[in-house]
Amino acid sequence: MPSVATKPSPGARTAPGTSDDSHELFTRWQCDRDPHAREALVRQYLPLTRGLARRYGRSSEPFEDLLQVASLGLLKALDRYDVDRGHPFASFAVPTILGEMRRYFRDSGWAVHVPRGAQERALKVRDAQERLANVHGRAPTVNQLAEFLEIDTEDVIDALQAIQAYDTLSLDAPRPRADGEAVAYGDTVGEDDERYELVELDATVTAVLGHIPPRERLILRMRFVEDLTQTEIAERVGISQMQVSRLLRRSLEQLRTLTRAD
Amino acid sequence: MAELPNVHLSLPSRPENVLIVRQALNGVAACLTLDAIASNDLNTAVTEACNNVVMHAYGEHEGALEVDVLALSDGVAVVVRDHGKGMPPHGEEQRQEGIGLAVIDTLARSVGFALTPAGGTELRMEFDVPNASALEPIAGEDLETFAAARSGPAGAVELRLAPNAVVRAVLPRVLGALAARAYFTTDRISDVQIVADILATNAGESIRGTHLEVGVTIAPRKLELLIGPLLTGRGESLMTAAADGSAPVVERLTDAQRVARFDSAETLELHLADHR
Repeated sequence: MPSVATKPSPGARTAPGTSDDSHELFTRWQCDRDPHAREALVRQYLPLTRGLARRYGRSSEPFEDLLQVASLGLLKALDRYDVDRGHPFASFAVPTILGEMRRYFRDSGWAVHVPRGAQERALKVRDAQERLANVHGRAPTVNQLAEFLEIDTEDVIDALQAIQAYDTLSLDAPRPRADGEAVAYGDTVGEDDERYELVELDATVTAVLGHIPPRERLILRMRFVEDLTQTEIAERVGISQMQVSRLLRRSLEQLRTLTRAD
Repeated sequence: MAELPNVHLSLPSRPENVLIVRQALNGVAACLTLDAIASNDLNTAVTEACNNVVMHAYGEHEGALEVDVLALSDGVAVVVRDHGKGMPPHGEEQRQEGIGLAVIDTLARSVGFALTPAGGTELRMEFDVPNASALEPIAGEDLETFAAARSGPAGAVELRLAPNAVVRAVLPRVLGALAARAYFTTDRISDVQIVADILATNAGESIRGTHLEVGVTIAPRKLELLIGPLLTGRGESLMTAAADGSAPVVERLTDAQRVARFDSAETLELHLADHR
């Protein structure tokens, strides 16, 4: 077993010190209410504030909003910091600023709702995916999506994940086909299902497949029997590739559960 | 019997691999139904710890960045480990370090340092989780035998995942992110995630031992998975697991498959490419 080293508090131990200059500025602001001193302190600790806003709120809210909240935390910290206790300012400011951001998230319902920024981005990624697939005749890479949308690759990855999880996005609306003609599922599914009528399956599997909706059965067939790509399936069925992905994963999961239940 | 992690990741200490750790944590957070704030806290704190390893643990060199996620009765512990010099450096870097540690200190309910026998550092962070029961405490013998004996190629990412709900949340996210890095199209990323779903769902009945181990090597448009240790015969049955009784899903979605015997167990090797 590794030996445990004693460590009272990482913040207190290694946080940056408060220079004599800052000490004077703090005295001028806290005792004399000198606005120039506060301005100088804000300027000095803005990089710290900016860094915290970026670290804590990555990819969920517009950065400007977060920076504003974090800056409010900085102002509170400047007021409450006790310069004579000798702790470095940063070790006091970090929890205050993070606390302000957490409260903002809590109050704005961020914990329970899908963050606005994340939701908007997921929709943009979905639309960009379709657009690029149409232009190039094949699905784009994450890097191409990131470049096209001018966002981080990690944001694209998160958005792809979010799309898999969302039921709230209007993914089920009819999607325009490549030839510009909008098609609703009902039209495609009915006719195609006849052609893909299942054969040569044992009784258990046939019974189980009966629990899977026709559209999902069709998509399973297209992917695993006909070996079409998800993008090709998306175009034929008239939905997005993201939704094909979601439906495939979901119906495979359903099949496994059903097979096990038998 | 040792307390074993639900999730263990071992990655080269490169900045881009911190993203992989975050994807794994997103899976853990989803599994524990953490709200967005708790998930963000976990992610931010662990990111800071990983960045510290990436930037400082091995100086100019590269080494292993290891992350463990352990179940506690009322929360989770995340251990970030290196085998380098580890401890935060002093001197000019101190300003940044201080902020990183202050962030961790604020967001985790407790923080502790330990030294590894080899002289590296472990930073253990604990977080409150109201619904921690989704992760089960895992006890077992040490895991080293399998991984040590087969020694994957340098630069590979290694995962060890307990065969419970966590593997199903973590594996598709991590493999999806690695496929994205290998310049896979969104089509093929989804295929990789479907393969991951199947490996994860069948993990419990397929593995020999306590954990599913997956070694991942990536090259442009290529992803190679080495999966084990599996019970004899399970490699084949994973490969041919059928979608609807007629088509073997894993075989269909991968470009090459190989089952190899390994002592009294076997490994399954899967190659996925994106030909476009």
